[in-house]
Amino acid sequence: MSGAPMLEIDNLTRRFQGLVAVDAVSSYVNAHELVGLIGPNGAGKTTLFNLISGFIAPTEGDIRFEGRSLVGMRPHRIARLGIGRTFQNLRILPNMTVFDNVSIGALGTVGHSAWQALIPGRRMGSRRISELTRDALDQVHLSAQAGELAANLSYGRRKYLEIARALATRPKLLILDEPAAGLNDTETAGLAEFIRGLVRRGLTVLLVEHDMSLVMSICDRVIVLASGAKIADADPATVQRDPAVLDSYLGTRD
Amino acid sequence: MSAATVPERGTRPALPPAVTKGLLALIVFVVVPATMSAIGGGYLYGIATMALIFIILASSLNLVTGTAGLLSLGHAGFYGIGAYVAAILSTRMGLPFLITMPAAGVIAGAIGVVVALPTMRLVSIYFAVATLGIGQMIFVTLLNWTDFTRGPMGIRGIPPITILGWQPHSPMQQYMVVALTTVASLWILSRLTHSYFGNALRAVREDDQCASAMGLNVVQLKIVAFGTSCFFAGIAGALLAHTANFISPDQFQFGESINILAMVVVGGLGSLPGAVIGALLLVILPEALRGVGDFRMIAIGSVMFFSILLLPKGLLGEASALGLLRRQFGEAWSDGLGPRVGWR
Amino acid sequence: MLDIYLVQQIINGLSIGLVYALMAIGFTLIFGVLNVVNFAHGEVYMVGAFAGLMLITATAPPLLAVVLVVLAVGAMTGVGLERLAFKPFRRFRDEASLRSRAMREATLLSSLAVSIVAREVMTLVFGSNMQTIPQAFLLQHPIRLGVLSITDGDLIIFGASVVMLGALQYLLFRTRVGLSIRAVANSPLGAQFVGINTDRAIMATFAVGSMLGAVAGILVGLYSGTITPMMGFAPGIKAFVAMVMGGLSSIPGAVICALLLGVSESITTEFLASGWQDLVAYSFLIATLVFFPQGLFGVGRDRA
Repeated sequence: MSGAPMLEIDNLTRRFQGLVAVDAVSSYVNAHELVGLIGPNGAGKTTLFNLISGFIAPTEGDIRFEGRSLVGMRPHRIARLGIGRTFQNLRILPNMTVFDNVSIGALGTVGHSAWQALIPGRRMGSRRISELTRDALDQVHLSAQAGELAANLSYGRRKYLEIARALATRPKLLILDEPAAGLNDTETAGLAEFIRGLVRRGLTVLLVEHDMSLVMSICDRVIVLASGAKIADADPATVQRDPAVLDSYLGTRD
Repeated sequence: MSAATVPERGTRPALPPAVTKGLLALIVFVVVPATMSAIGGGYLYGIATMALIFIILASSLNLVTGTAGLLSLGHAGFYGIGAYVAAILSTRMGLPFLITMPAAGVIAGAIGVVVALPTMRLVSIYFAVATLGIGQMIFVTLLNWTDFTRGPMGIRGIPPITILGWQPHSPMQQYMVVALTTVASLWILSRLTHSYFGNALRAVREDDQCASAMGLNVVQLKIVAFGTSCFFAGIAGALLAHTANFISPDQFQFGESINILAMVVVGGLGSLPGAVIGALLLVILPEALRGVGDFRMIAIGSVMFFSILLLPKGLLGEASALGLLRRQFGEAWSDGLGPRVGWR
Repeated sequence: MLDIYLVQQIINGLSIGLVYALMAIGFTLIFGVLNVVNFAHGEVYMVGAFAGLMLITATAPPLLAVVLVVLAVGAMTGVGLERLAFKPFRRFRDEASLRSRAMREATLLSSLAVSIVAREVMTLVFGSNMQTIPQAFLLQHPIRLGVLSITDGDLIIFGASVVMLGALQYLLFRTRVGLSIRAVANSPLGAQFVGINTDRAIMATFAVGSMLGAVAGILVGLYSGTITPMMGFAPGIKAFVAMVMGGLSSIPGAVICALLLGVSESITTEFLASGWQDLVAYSFLIATLVFFPQGLFGVGRDRA
C-alpha cells in the first residue's frame, strides 16, 4: 500500500451565516479501507459529503483526493476523478428503465457527445457504456431486471440500483449515504456483506450510516462527528468505548 | 419538466421499424402531395410547407425544453435570425439556397451558444425569463436596425430555393425540397433524442445535481442542446424566407415563441412524435377552421392552458391509441441501443 | 438648455419608474408568497386601464372615484386570476410541492396562457387601436415649476404612489391580513401549522398586488393617452426586471430599481430612436441575471 491516503480531509470548515456545520474536521481514508462516518442528526455528515462531492465550497480547509485538491472543482470533474456516490433519498429516475438509470453513471465517465449520437450503430463509446452498465448491474444482481421500469422495483432493490449507478462510474472511492435506511435486519445484513465484498474486490468505501450495528460490524475505522466537529476517529471497538461518543449519543452515562 | 411520458411495458410494436419508416416516407413524399394535387391548389401546398417548417421548430424546441428541460421562451428569435440571415445573404449578396440555409442555421446556432454561455447556470425559471428577454432583444433589433433589416417594411423579393441551378417549377416541387429538409432535420433530432446523449439530457432535466455527481458536465450538455435547437430554428427560418419570399419582424415576436411552445406542450413535453403532432394540429386546425382566424391566439392560449391543467403529459402521454402510435414511431426511430434506451 | 431637457427627461423617467414600481411591488408580493412568476400581471394592469376608461366614458366621475373603482376591479381580477391559473396547480399540501419546480413551471405556462387569452379577448372586443380618452381626463396639463415644466400627471402619479406605498406598509405590518401574507411568504407550511389559512393569504396577496397593478394601468393610460390591449406586455416585463434587479424579495429594492429603469429608459430616448428603449429593460434583465444573481439589493432568495 502506498504512503499517502486516498482521501484527505484537512481542517475542513463550513459555515452558513453563523451556523458552523463542519468545524475544523481533519481525517483521511486509505485505499481499500472501509470507513464509517457516524454522528447524531445535525452533526454535519451530509454537509461533509456535499463538500467532498463539490456541491458546496468549504469556508476553510482543504480536501485532497490522491494528492489533488478538490476545492473549487466542479462536481462532475470530481466524479470523473474517481469519486462515486449514492444519495440518501434515492435520486433515481423512476420513469426510465433500470438499465438506462445505471447507464447514467457510465455516461458521465465515458462521456457521450452529441456527435457520437448521430452516427448510427454501436460506436466505441456506446459499447463501453453498455459494458460498464451491464457490469455494474451484475455486481448488484439486477441484470434480470435490466428492462424493468425503475419505478417498479421494490425499495430494497432501488437501493442497489442507486449503488449500481455509482458503480458504473468506475469509482476508486465510493461514498454511500445511509444505504441501510429503511431496510430490515435481513436486508441490512445482506447489504453489509455486499459492501464488504466491494472492498474485497478493491474498492475504497466511505459510509455514512445511522445503523450502528452495520457500521461497527464491517468498518475498519469509524469517524464520529458531533455538532460539526470530529470527536473520535479509530477502530470500531475503541470508538464504542469512547466516553465522548457515548455522551453525544446517549447523554451522560449513568 | 416532469411532464415526461411514461413508457408502457410489454407489447412490441406491431410493425418492424423499417416498415414504419417506409410508411412514413410514403405518406410524406407520395400520399400527401398526391392528395393535394388532386384536391388542387398551390394554397394547400403553402399550408403544408408551413406545417413542415413548424414541425422543425417544434421538434427543435422539444429537444431543449422537453428533453433537456430548459424552458425557452425566445425560440422565435432564432427563427427570425435564420430567416433574416438567409434573406440578407440572398438579396444583398446573391448567395444561393445551398449556402444561405446552412449559414442561417450556423449563425443562429452560434448566437444561441453565445447567449447560452453566460445564462446557462441560471436556475430554470430565470433561464426561461432570460430567453424571453433575448427573444425580445432580437425582435427589437430586427424591428429597429432599419439600415440592415429594413425594419417593419421587411425584406421582399427573396429568391426562391435554388439547388445548383435547379429551381422548383411548381408548389409541389418546393414542398418536396422542404419535406426532404424536414425529414433530414427530424432524423438528426431523433437520433439526438433517442440516444445516450438524449439520456444524459433527461438526467440533467430530472435532477441536474445528481447528474453532475455522476460525472455529467451539465452546463456543457445544456449549451449543446440549446445551440442545436437554435441551429434548427435558423434552418426553419431560412426555409421560410425562401418559400414565402417575404419576411418581416412581426413574424418573430414573442407570440410566435409561445405558439411553438404550445405545440410542444400539447404534444407532450419530451416526446418528439408529440411535437410533430402538436405542430401539425396547431398549423392545420386554424386553417381548417377558416374564419376562426381572429380566434387563433385565443384558441392556442386556451389549448395550452387546458393541456397543462388536464393533460400534463400532453396528448401523447395519455390516450392509449396515440400511445400505440407513439411507441410505433419511437421504435422506428431508435435502433435498439441497449434495452429500450430513452423515453417513449 | 440641454441640461434642463435632461432634467425633464429624468422627471419623466421617474414617473414612468413609479408606475413600474407599483407593478413591481405586485410581482414581488406574489413571488414572495408563492415563489412563482405571474405572467398575467401585465394584463391586470391593462384591465385596470380599460375598466377606468369605461367608467370615465360612461359617467365621467372625479378621478378619485375612478381610482377607487379600478382598485376594486383590480382586486377582483387578481383573485380571479389566482383561482384560475394558480390554485388548480396547488394540488398537494406538502412543502416540497408547494414550492416545487414543476408547479412553478406549470403556473408560469398557465399564467402565460391566460395572459394571451386575455389580451386576445380584449383585442376582439375593443380592437387593437388606441382608445379615445376624454380630454378632461388626460393627465397632461402642464404645470410650471420655475424653469421646469411638468404635468399634473407627474404629480398625481407621485402622490398616488406615495399613498399606496404607505397603505401597503400599513397593510403588511399592522393588519392581520398583512401578517398572514408575511407568514406565508416566510414559510407556507409553518404558516399552516399555526392556523393561518394559506389559501386566503394567497388570495389576499394577489388582490393587493393586482390592485396596485390596476391603478398603475389607469394612471399610465391617462398620463400617456395610450390605452390598448397590448399595453400590459412591455411594462409587465419591465416590472419583472425591476423585481429581479431588486433581489426578488425586497420591495424597497424593487422600487428603487424600477425608478432606475424608468429614468434609464427616459434618458435613452435622448440618444436612440424611440423603438430601442425596450432594449434597455431587456439588457438590464440579462445583465442582472448574469452578473448580479443576488439582485442589486436583495439578500438573494433561494433560487433553486
